[in-house]
Amino acid sequence: MRQHLIELVLFSTYAELRAERARSYLGLAWWVLDPAMQMAVWWLLIHVILRAGGPDYLPSLLIGVTLWQWMKSCMIHGGYAIWSNLNLVRQVALPPLVFPVVAVLSDTVKFFYIFAVLLVILWVSGYPPSWAYFGLLPLFVAILLLSAGVGFIIAAMVPLLPDLRFVIEQVLNVVMYLSGVVFMLSNIPSPLREVLALNPIAVIMDAARGILMHGLWPNWVGLTKASLIALVACALGAFVVARLAPRYPKLAA
Amino acid sequence: MGEILVELRNVGVAFSAQRRMNDHRFWALEDVDLTLRRGQRLGVIGRNGAGKSTLLRVIAGILAPDRGTVKRGPVSCQLLSLALGFVPHLSGRDNAVLSGLMLGLRRRDITARLAAIHEFSELGDFFEQPIAAYSSGMMMRLAFSVAIQVEPDVLLIDEVMAVGDAEFQQKSGAALRARMGEGHTVVLVSHDETQIASLCDRVLWVEHGKSILEGDRDEVFEAYHRDLHLVPTPKA
Repeated sequence: MRQHLIELVLFSTYAELRAERARSYLGLAWWVLDPAMQMAVWWLLIHVILRAGGPDYLPSLLIGVTLWQWMKSCMIHGGYAIWSNLNLVRQVALPPLVFPVVAVLSDTVKFFYIFAVLLVILWVSGYPPSWAYFGLLPLFVAILLLSAGVGFIIAAMVPLLPDLRFVIEQVLNVVMYLSGVVFMLSNIPSPLREVLALNPIAVIMDAARGILMHGLWPNWVGLTKASLIALVACALGAFVVARLAPRYPKLAA
Repeated sequence: MGEILVELRNVGVAFSAQRRMNDHRFWALEDVDLTLRRGQRLGVIGRNGAGKSTLLRVIAGILAPDRGTVKRGPVSCQLLSLALGFVPHLSGRDNAVLSGLMLGLRRRDITARLAAIHEFSELGDFFEQPIAAYSSGMMMRLAFSVAIQVEPDVLLIDEVMAVGDAEFQQKSGAALRARMGEGHTVVLVSHDETQIASLCDRVLWVEHGKSILEGDRDEVFEAYHRDLHLVPTPKA
């Protein structure tokens, strides 16, 4: 049973990516072009028009936006996954967690393409690779768990309360501005900085910038705390989905 | 008599009428008893809206009962669903694998049966093309060819007997009858009494979400017909 589910999840992920590639003329190229265009817009705005933030600002912004894009897409796509697969849920007895897991996995695969673009940009702008890159591994695990966990929680609720869809993106935008995605924690004055540093996403962003720009190892205490929060979110999400599972097949699409 | 595979006792299933605050629930199934033994071919009859399809989804494990008990042995119960999980931009081959996985097959079993699926579907080179390019007839042929490969312990069929053009209808109907005749355990829901009469040995009669009578085919049909003629059907 379990092996069968793993096979189903892996093949569904492949199918999802394959289908997305086939939906547009440029296919795979969009996975790279889309974030590249977004980064260009930021560069134009910050560097050329506003001339703001100092020399390190643009790369730190790009790192923040890239990682946030990954998290946000996992949360949103994962969050909508059960709701958008209700027709399947009504026809076949599968654990509904399968659907958000597939969404999170396929967004993660796409993220690695985007991350490769980011690395190239960083290397040519004078931020070379370092041993601290190994710190990316636990960092990515923390990001994956956190986004999946939030995605699961949203996924559990959206089928029962589809109206949530109108609020989620706005909420996530607010979360983004509170998480040091577009600014660096170190630039925030003191009492507020300590408050914001409680946010696991802010810790993650800080660690990623340290690794990629300055060759610094992450703050392990902070990262461990963030990972624990992520694990709790994951477990909570999986629990709520399993708990509400009997109700989904009865819902109209 | 074979061992009991699925047993339902006083099963009820309630649905919410619509997505509104404080709406009331209605009971699609109110009180159903059913015993399914290995090797039985059970037909479910009853008027429109009697709860036949809901009952099938309870047996399949898709719906959990809101009251009563469902006991299921360590067996797989699969509803025969066509085109389950099909993705338009994927090839026929990929969709066959995906749909097969959704229907509970293991990856290696599907791979082993791909040739048979390809053959049965009569799709030729189209098998490698995205199914978005298929006609609806081709789509149904692929869907049926995958579904007929699934071999659960208990096969649940809801009115999907034959698909496609006349020729393929005959072929798919024959394949399905062959599958049912192989000694598998089957539950079949149909409006078509002659179909149930020819394919099933036991019959369950369901009315307004309640099981009225379960037993030998002829015995239940006799009671059902007596009821149909004595009690005038309410006008819709």
